[in-house]
Amino acid sequence: MDNSQRTMRTSLGRVRLLGAARFGVGEAWAMRLTSLALLPLTIGFVWLLLSLLSKDYNGVREALGHPAPAIILLLFVLVGIHHMHSGMRSIILDYIHDRSKEWALVANLFFCVVLALACAYAVLRIGFV
Amino acid sequence: MATVDTASKSVRSRPLSPHLGVYKLTMTMAMSFAHRVTGVGLYIGTLLLAWWLIAVSMDAAAFAAVAWFLKSIIGRLILFGFSWALFHHALGGIRHFIWDAGHGLDDPQREWLAQATLVGGFVLTIVVWAIGYMVR
Repeated sequence: MDNSQRTMRTSLGRVRLLGAARFGVGEAWAMRLTSLALLPLTIGFVWLLLSLLSKDYNGVREALGHPAPAIILLLFVLVGIHHMHSGMRSIILDYIHDRSKEWALVANLFFCVVLALACAYAVLRIGFV
Repeated sequence: MATVDTASKSVRSRPLSPHLGVYKLTMTMAMSFAHRVTGVGLYIGTLLLAWWLIAVSMDAAAFAAVAWFLKSIIGRLILFGFSWALFHHALGGIRHFIWDAGHGLDDPQREWLAQATLVGGFVLTIVVWAIGYMVR
């Protein structure tokens, strides 16, 4: 397309930033790694919850105050929220094609960061307060 | 799609590849949807986990509130759905690993994997709930 008579913009200027962002492989790989880590962590998480069913508040708090359950919970929550951020990101990129896509991506990121920090803070507070 | 800033106004919409509506619903397709739907369910359900963790970190009154909700009929239904979504999605993830390794993509195997994901998700959920009711 010859635009030279209508605009001063070069062909490169028109297409720059419209191609691949060049971090797709990293995202795909992170999805696999978090999936792999979540398999044993999910078993640990379910096991932990089952072990808490017979306990009252003080019992739950005492159990979660030990290092191993706290570390399993922290890993499950942080790796899980990283994983769900990537998953929701691919859903947004698949289905939203207008300007609201950027806002959806920002909302997804903010939601996941707040949730991850809230969960991590709670687990640490159970252990240290 | 990103709007390309062209000087000419005569940009026609580009042809699209055939989308979901033109295909017959198959088992593998249904499990692909189910993987996404359970993923979104777990995304929202994580709010419940955050509420529970924050309540435990606070005091007995906050814990009693979340425990009351989780023990109600609606709470149990949500927990049942969350646990099913967790197991279904985990098995779906294992299925994706098998595919990533280059196995199970051909005709009978991929149907078996889809059925195993569906049945396995329910079986795991029921087994874990049975254990839960026994140990509580």
